[in-house]
This record gives sequence, C-alpha cells and structure tokens, in this order.
Amino acid sequence: MAEDKIVIPGDMVGTSEEFLPGRGTYEENGNIYANTTGRVAIDKRERAVYIEPVTKTPPTPKEGDIVVGRVTDIKGSVALVELSRIKGSLDREIAGNTSAAIHISNVKDSYVQDLQQEFGYQDIVKARIIDTKNMRLTTVDKNLGVITSHCSRCRSPLVYENGKLKCQQCERRESRKVSSDYGKGVI
Amino acid sequence: MSKPEKLIVDGKRLDGRGPFDMRPIKFTAGVLKRADGSCYLEFGGNKVMAAVYGPREVHPRHMQNASRAIVRYRYNMASFSVEERKRPGPDRRSIEISKVSREALEGVVMEELYPRSAIDVFVEILQADAGSRVAGINAASVALADAGIPMKCLVSAVAVGKIDGEVVLDLNKDEDNYGSADLPIAMNQFGEITLCQMDGHLTEEEFGRALDMAVDGCKKIHELQKQALIEKYGQDITPDVAQPIEGGETNE
Repeated sequence: MAEDKIVIPGDMVGTSEEFLPGRGTYEENGNIYANTTGRVAIDKRERAVYIEPVTKTPPTPKEGDIVVGRVTDIKGSVALVELSRIKGSLDREIAGNTSAAIHISNVKDSYVQDLQQEFGYQDIVKARIIDTKNMRLTTVDKNLGVITSHCSRCRSPLVYENGKLKCQQCERRESRKVSSDYGKGVI
Repeated sequence: MSKPEKLIVDGKRLDGRGPFDMRPIKFTAGVLKRADGSCYLEFGGNKVMAAVYGPREVHPRHMQNASRAIVRYRYNMASFSVEERKRPGPDRRSIEISKVSREALEGVVMEELYPRSAIDVFVEILQADAGSRVAGINAASVALADAGIPMKCLVSAVAVGKIDGEVVLDLNKDEDNYGSADLPIAMNQFGEITLCQMDGHLTEEEFGRALDMAVDGCKKIHELQKQALIEKYGQDITPDVAQPIEGGETNE
C-alpha cells in the first residue's frame, strides 16, 4: 500500500505480516483495514501502519490538552469538573469520559489552605489535562483557572476588578484561582 | 399516473433504462456546517439529507450502555416529499425503517470505542421516489465517515424488484407502485448483508438472481461513496502543503 494514498473505511492497507495495526486501522483475518478516512502513513521504527485522518474526528481528551468544564462538586481536597470542550474543537462534544478532578495540589503554585477559596460551585474553569487515566487536571498557569463565576449569595455574575472578584449586585467580594482570561470569553 | 399497460417495452423500462441500470446517483459529503458529519444524496428522484452527531452524551441516561456506544437512527419523510401531503411525524412505516436502517449500520460502526455515548443519525427524505430507505442508508453511511467515526467499512444499499415478470435493478416510483416485488438489500464491502426486506413475491430462482443484481449494484454505489469522500477530502490537504504558515502562534 502506497504511503500518502487516501483511503476510506474498509480499504485494505496491509497485512499482519507486514505491519502492526496502528491508529485508525483494525485487523481482521490477517489483514489490516482502515477505519477512518485519511492518508496512509507508515511508522518505520515501530513497523506500524496508521491513518492520518483528513476528516474531523471525535475529540478525545489527551494529556496536555486545554479543556473547559464546570465545577460540579468541591470536596475537601478535590474539585470535580464536568468537561465540556477541548480547545481546538470547540464545536464538537467530547467523545468519552467527561468527569475530571482537580486535586488541591494542582490548583496553583502557592500553598492552598482551603479549596473553597479557589473554586466555587458551578464555576467555569479552564484547565490542562495531566493524566487521562484518572482524568486529573491542573490549573497551575497564569491563563488557567476560573473563567466565569457567580456570587455565592445572590448568583449574579462576578466581575474582576483590581485583582479581586466583586459582585455587582450585593457588593460581596470572593476569592478564586482566576485565569488571566477571566470574563473575556476566550478559551 | 394510472397503471400503464406495460412497464417494459422492447427490453427498455419506462424511463429508458435497461434491467441492470440504476438511476443517476450523486453524493455530496460534508454539506452541513453544524453537523459533525453530513451527506446530501440524489438517488434518481430521491433527495436525501443525512446528518450525524456524536459520539455524544446519552439522554435519557438509562439508554446508555456501559460497554459501547449506541446508534440512534431517525428516518423522517418531509411532509412535502410525496405528491399527497404526508402527515408529519413518525408513523408505523418510518419507525420500522428507522429500526432496520439502524441495524444495517450498527454492524460496521466500531461502537466499542466510545462507551456510554450515543451516535445520532438523522435522515431526512426531502423528495421521495421509491427506494428512499436504501438512499437513506447510503447517505448515512457517507455521513458517518464524514464525521470521522471509526467504521469497519461503508454500507451500500440498493433495491431490486420485479416488473412484468422480469427482475430489474433499482425500481422507480411507478415500477414500485405497479410492480410485483420489491427487495431492498444493504451490504458492506465484505459481502455481508445487513438489510434484506421483501414485499411481493419472488420465486427461489428469481430471488437468487435478484440478490446477484443487488450485489453488483451495491458495488457500484460503494465506488460512488468512495469517490464522494475522496472528492471532499482529497484536495483539501494539498493547498495546506503549498502555503507555509506565516507569523507566530495563531489564537483561535
């Protein structure tokens, strides 16, 4: 099978004697077939044949991906986050597991006494994936952290003013691990 | 149209086709912006739009399967798709077609890769002209590939029928209405038949012949489906290589 050739699902790309079945392929009866539309590529070192997809593919979280999600629960040492989108494919829902967690040690560089001071219930956070097996996230970075939050007393949106979050309705001040993109609507 | 005297005159059918000819078929992949994958198909007089969404969260929750994705298929005829206005909404016929079409596609979608999620396929018949279920399956199959959902292969479908005592490929509306049998067949490229329905009567010998014709027809359709996908994605890549990316990082 020539490299760089476009294949569609079901096209044979090689045999099990020649290659290992890589990404975008499957093996059946000693043959390797494509399961996505894309270009054939061969990893010479691994002796694997794989498909470089040309279509958009269902977004699956990978280590290092920037994700956005909503805080669904705050426990003693972890905040649970329901993931919504992966940066780079904002128009498509995440395929697969969307429940993730931020451990208290991965919130920011400095010491965190109380997680309640860093996240609020129903906050929208931007985070980076550090482990896909247990879906652990980190917000240790200037542009990571809370990007939208609401007042815990009156539920109106909090506004970022001179390094603090302030409620426009009831003048309440709250503290969060805010992202540098707080309230800007950019991801 | 009232019943014609004969459906085959001098070896030619009423629309001028021979017994082994299909109607003109045109696939266009990736036509809907907001769908994850889509396909518009003109199959003779049939005009079909297929859209695929997912894999996505399953609602209602109890429908989800912990070990695999579920495929949901909705076949729907627009009220203006037929001569007499069709009452909108699912009816007995379209529920049945949705079920058999879903089963025709389930076999090739690699459901085990996306547990607890749903793959939704919507097929809208904008204009119907006999064989809309096979047109729907053909379009849905291309739309699934367009969505980048891992599949073992594509599914192709075609109907065979019997008119004036002769077995012919791909019935049109009049042949369907006044013919004596209709046999829609869906199969994948490995020759596994995933849909086989029949209305009317065929002898065992006729059935065998009809099946052979359907297999040939499906092969032709598979070629067209392949072309549609390559047409859509074949050239998309080339301009990227020619243009070097200028400047630094681009912010989305």
